[in-house]
Amino acid sequence: MTTMLRSRERKEAMVGRVRLLSALVGVCLVLIASSYWMVQGIHGAEYREMAENNRLRRVPIKAPRGVLYDRESRPLAENVPSYNVSLDVRAARSLDHSLAFAADILDRSVDDLRRALAEQGDILGIRPARLAENLTLPQVARFQLAALEHPEFEIEVDQLRLYRHREQTAHLLGYLGEINQEELSRSGGEYLRGELLGRRGIESQYEKVVRGDNGERVLVVDSRGRRIEEQRTETARPGRDLQLTIDLDLQQAAFRQLEDKVGAVVALDPRDGEILAMASSPSYDPNIFARRLTGDAWRRLVEDPHHPLQNRAIQNAHSPGSTFKMFTAIAALEEGIASPGTRVFCGGSAVFYGRSFRCWKRAGHGSVDLHQALKQSCDVYFYTIGQRLGIDRIGAYAKKFGFGRLTGVDLAGEKQGLVPSQEWSQSVRKHPWYPGETISVSIGQGPLLVTPLQMAVAIAALANGGRLPPAHVAKPTGGPRAVDPDISADAWERVREGMRAVVMDWGTGNNAKVVEAPQFQIGGKTGTVQVVAQHTWMKPHELPWEKRDHAWFVSFAPVDDPQIVVVVFVEHGGSGSQAAAPIARAMYEEFLRKRPDLRDPGKA
Amino acid sequence: MRNSFARGPISGILVRPEERPLGRLSNVRWSLLLVALMLSVVGAATVHSASAEMPIDYLPRQAAWVGIGLLLLFVALSVDHQRLASFALPLYMASLALLGLVLVVGQVRGGSRGWFGLGAFAVQPSELAKFTTALMLARYLAGVEGEHLKLRQIAVAVLIVAAPVALVAIQPDLGGAAMYAPMLGAMLLVAGIKKRLLAVSLLLAVVGGGLAWTYGMQPYQRDRILTFLSPETDPQGAGYQVRQSKIAVGSGELLGKGYRQGTQSQLRFLPARHTDFIFAVLAEEWGFLGVAFVLGLYGVFLFGAAEVAVRARDRLGILLVVGLLATLGFHILYNSAMVVGLVPITGIPLPFLSYGGSFTMYAFAATGVFLGVDYRRYVNR
Repeated sequence: MTTMLRSRERKEAMVGRVRLLSALVGVCLVLIASSYWMVQGIHGAEYREMAENNRLRRVPIKAPRGVLYDRESRPLAENVPSYNVSLDVRAARSLDHSLAFAADILDRSVDDLRRALAEQGDILGIRPARLAENLTLPQVARFQLAALEHPEFEIEVDQLRLYRHREQTAHLLGYLGEINQEELSRSGGEYLRGELLGRRGIESQYEKVVRGDNGERVLVVDSRGRRIEEQRTETARPGRDLQLTIDLDLQQAAFRQLEDKVGAVVALDPRDGEILAMASSPSYDPNIFARRLTGDAWRRLVEDPHHPLQNRAIQNAHSPGSTFKMFTAIAALEEGIASPGTRVFCGGSAVFYGRSFRCWKRAGHGSVDLHQALKQSCDVYFYTIGQRLGIDRIGAYAKKFGFGRLTGVDLAGEKQGLVPSQEWSQSVRKHPWYPGETISVSIGQGPLLVTPLQMAVAIAALANGGRLPPAHVAKPTGGPRAVDPDISADAWERVREGMRAVVMDWGTGNNAKVVEAPQFQIGGKTGTVQVVAQHTWMKPHELPWEKRDHAWFVSFAPVDDPQIVVVVFVEHGGSGSQAAAPIARAMYEEFLRKRPDLRDPGKA
Repeated sequence: MRNSFARGPISGILVRPEERPLGRLSNVRWSLLLVALMLSVVGAATVHSASAEMPIDYLPRQAAWVGIGLLLLFVALSVDHQRLASFALPLYMASLALLGLVLVVGQVRGGSRGWFGLGAFAVQPSELAKFTTALMLARYLAGVEGEHLKLRQIAVAVLIVAAPVALVAIQPDLGGAAMYAPMLGAMLLVAGIKKRLLAVSLLLAVVGGGLAWTYGMQPYQRDRILTFLSPETDPQGAGYQVRQSKIAVGSGELLGKGYRQGTQSQLRFLPARHTDFIFAVLAEEWGFLGVAFVLGLYGVFLFGAAEVAVRARDRLGILLVVGLLATLGFHILYNSAMVVGLVPITGIPLPFLSYGGSFTMYAFAATGVFLGVDYRRYVNR
């Protein structure tokens, strides 16, 4: 019985321990059940969303960007298919094998491709990673031939922006660049990561118009990203095509003339402000941006001392030199300082405020009136009337012609230049205006800065009798901005006649004359801006490039019925008559080729 | 489903054996079998759903395993466990031999050489060894005298377990080897172990775990544990599994997405969804409702089997039930905790639910032993 009892006690102890274990298991079961309750009951909705994200893949449909055409509907910027290859790591049997295969086709090293994948490390295994872009058609064919053996490669067709005329239209059109983090967060989901958007030029200015709206395909996919079914599709709204006012022929002529030079050419229609050509040199190939620019190429562009990215037609302001003389003349005529018959004696120099100011012609022009002064570009004449006008009156007339403020052209990054005044001198330079500076400003030197486009608009106003046309490339940016035409017809007439003589009557602008069309009347004015003061003891070609004069030539034609304004600016080009006027002539030749009716207006 | 025949609190001793003669099959706790069958039906249906996007439907195979399992159950029920225990040593040695053989001629699955291929089926001798080791251990511990185990006796018990553990570990299947621990621990505890010894062995387990971490584990095993601790570090590895499993479970919410409607399982986001992660499929498609139902069934099964141990009157029966039940209980708790992301991932199937032959056979054979011990509770003492 004792053994029986001992055995019974022993059994009771074991049963107790079994119950202890059972209790432990019970507690664990309750804990686990409450974990399920937490995950399913409390946080279920969050996990349901995660499951949806797992299940659905949103594939953006990129809206094709609007095509940019010139005024004769010739494409300037268009879209061409580009073939890219992606690698779905999950579908690859052996990554090494896949990369070796791709490296052979792409003619790149395996390490190179591995780096390309590593850069997208965070998406590996979630969706296919971009391996290479812009494949050639034979490369595409080789990938597709191997599709059965290598299902891990996917060929994707993308739209690549093509600027057919490369450097020739670069500054005008701008280029596309990848969206940055800040823009991405500011866009509020409108843009996708890695999407390209317009940078500079028309592409930037009309981004909203030409971009369109992306669409989206929502696919149900399995864990390997394989498409099970399509849930819905939102089609993309393509961007609007844009017709520009640019005439490709004139644009190309302008660019050809600027090759190997630094400068800008602007041609516009003085009647409505349509810009026919706008070239800036040096230039760049905007296509390289669409193909993911390398850091090296970018550095070369940015560090180039001639700043090829800059649109010199609107972003560089220089002294206008003698091309400003027309505006000094109009101010003097209107203010009653001078009349067309007023004569000034030029002895090669004159003394103002105790300092001698030279005429460009050291022998002097003798006694000249306004017409002769414009035609010969006599400095002493304009010194004299400029002194009588004073800086503030000169400035007021300069502003009437749009200098010192933006033209409002539909291109990003325009500079407004500078029209000096006594008040400006006090508030910005912190010293009084020196009267001697007025003498310089009256012939377009000194702290007077204008852009080639401002000059073109001002010349247009001279040409069409006082209305500042709204310069534009794509569409009018508002109503025509009229300058106060409170300037007598006589003053217009005198100045225009003077400009006509500059080109047509053996004046300084003789080089702009189209010899083959003597009846095509051009009015113009040369300008030579001194970079280094008083260097006449050296011949221009002996000077180092950066010390040579800037050359201007401003013009319009035909004088009786102006239809085109041509402004040429060549940085360190030398004299306006030698460096700038011939470029304008080339522009007029191209213009006449298309408008034979203007060649000999008498016949028409 | 409580047996109407068993009255009041059963403490064996108080019941007179002559009133409860052997041979009354109504004496058996059939509720265990019923629950096992219910779980098997739920399991087979879930396996069918989980294999929807797989090359083959695992439902027929799983049904075959359940059939074989039922056969084993009745064999185990019909054999007196005392008699079975007399063959413990040869059975144990045979299992060790099979574990040795599998290292030579076995198939490699999931990185370890632990499977005998039998046509379309494959079995793991490790599950058989788990059964025979429990039998061997129960037999040894049942014969031990005294209130508490002596250190030498504990050492023998550990050695009995160490042999199959070593053979499984070199497959290498550390997870499978670790599954012998709950059995050993539960049986030692129930057989009688001093509190001080218990503390020491817990300490040893911690130190041993540390050593295993440093010297015994493969890098991928360490990674698994590390990614469990921070799942976001490895989206495609073990962290991926945890994440997908939790998404499946959570997105099932209260009522589930419906049978064969789970996007996580049907679209192949869940790895091992017909085996180790079957519970995630169930949780996704049947929601918390389904989870609670199945956990409830497991609860009924575990407590019912524990009751068999409690009312058994022989030390061998108690120990055998505890040993076999510890493995099942640990699998249930660990697997359900793993699926909801509470513990690191390891290859532990869920009894009756997960697809798989060896463990289904183990589960049914163990259930057969439970029923047999219960059936003979008035005979054996």
